[in-house]
Amino acid sequence: MSLKNVLAVALGIMSAIGGFVDIGDLVFNTQAGAIFGFQLLWVVVIGVVGIIVYSEMCGRVSAVAKRPVFDLVRERTGFGWGLATLIASEVVNLMTCAAEIGGVAICFQLLSGLPYRLLIPLAVLGLAVSSWVLPFRWIERVFGYLGLGLLVFAVAAIKLHPNWGQVAHGFVPGSHSGDSLMVYLYFVVGLLGAAMTPYEVYFYSSGVVEDRWGRKELGLNKVTAMIGYALGGFLSFALMIAAGVLFLPRGISPQFLGTPALAAEHALGQVGLLLALVGILFAVGGAAIETSFAGAYNLAQFFGWRWGKKERPARASRFTLSWLVIFALALLVVMTGYDPVKLTEYSVIFSVVALPLTYLPILLVANDRAYMGANVNGKLANFLGGLYFVVILVIAVAAIPLMLLTHGGQG
Amino acid sequence: MSKVTEVDIALSVLDHQLIDGGGHNCGKVDDLEIAGLDGDSPQVVEIIVGGNAWRSRGRLGRLAARLSGNAVHVPWPEVDSVTSVVTLKRPAAELRLNGGDERWAKLVGKLPGS
Repeated sequence: MSLKNVLAVALGIMSAIGGFVDIGDLVFNTQAGAIFGFQLLWVVVIGVVGIIVYSEMCGRVSAVAKRPVFDLVRERTGFGWGLATLIASEVVNLMTCAAEIGGVAICFQLLSGLPYRLLIPLAVLGLAVSSWVLPFRWIERVFGYLGLGLLVFAVAAIKLHPNWGQVAHGFVPGSHSGDSLMVYLYFVVGLLGAAMTPYEVYFYSSGVVEDRWGRKELGLNKVTAMIGYALGGFLSFALMIAAGVLFLPRGISPQFLGTPALAAEHALGQVGLLLALVGILFAVGGAAIETSFAGAYNLAQFFGWRWGKKERPARASRFTLSWLVIFALALLVVMTGYDPVKLTEYSVIFSVVALPLTYLPILLVANDRAYMGANVNGKLANFLGGLYFVVILVIAVAAIPLMLLTHGGQG
Repeated sequence: MSKVTEVDIALSVLDHQLIDGGGHNCGKVDDLEIAGLDGDSPQVVEIIVGGNAWRSRGRLGRLAARLSGNAVHVPWPEVDSVTSVVTLKRPAAELRLNGGDERWAKLVGKLPGS
């Protein structure tokens, strides 16, 4: 492999690490750590392997067949089911986008001390201008790299000296303590939903088409998905471990988005706090852009419009308007003052319901030789794809009843 | 199409991406007009794109059709090839398939750098 390729792989991996964590992961991992300590670490492993399996698959399908996810949803499920999936995914994208924007505004507030409500429109303006000006690759990278500030949580988790024996124990599912079984299961569903959010595959597969990847990039696709998301998963571990050490014994329930940053401050002082806030700012800012674009990609791919950052905005006018309108609607949602943490919880739980109809078409087309030729799923991809599809079906059915039964994890 | 090829229209044509002669997306195959269903050799005569074409596509389709305008009819001989997408021979504008983006282009065009 040439130096240039090594660099491309490294850059891709770095942006995948920074891009892995979004507001859903921040909220669910920190809350899970604060309530159950390290007992739910095993769920993160399952979630990370799931997103690796389906990202690799949808990246491969998009590179070989040149068809991004929502094209396939429409082709394979038909107009009616496709439209139902579209509506569900757009509602979830909008909620997630609003929650991420709330997160950006809170980071601005903690960094500047200015009022939250004033900072929300500034956050949206900043995100919309970045999306307008920066080329696709740069959006991914700028936000991905600066999101690496989150690595401070890995350092913090180590410096907080957790009981590593207990940490290791958390990777084995078993009996639990701390709260009721229903709350435990609610967090299992939430952590899986946060790791496997559908907008990630919408954005990733459209990005593969935007970047004009082909069969040559299949290796890069595999490595980026596997290593990037696996290392991103370490950030989730770190968040849960830090919360388990710091918040659980003190009975702190992190109902505020700035709370996780306190773990970094506790372990590393002011520098830790600053790095954590910058990391969170760019991680959730990048995710806000990804969700607004995912919404526009889905609409365009469902109705067959011209789409992509590669097109001039006026040529692909409906696509351009779509992501601008999603930002505007998300702005309205956040301006109502609704708590971004609650919004995040709802968006993650509802996204779980939209997962099966997103992942099924990917699995079907990845097995279709007419589209994929020699690059159809191998035995391992099919075994894991099938297994995860069953997992997704179960959590999709369980998600809303668990949310209602536990009052959103409050017990 | 000049060559005789076997195509499963439900799986390989319906709901697939339409690409115009210039290589740009220009809608989906939302419905197909088939003639001669009573006889021995039914034939696809038209591709129907957008708006009213959704009327026949379930309850949500009927609602979506109500909210949008007329469909565009593209005669089947305009089709150049059927692969994972359906490619047309001529540019979208000549087949009246560019209406949607044209309509909003004026608004988006006012933004700097568009």
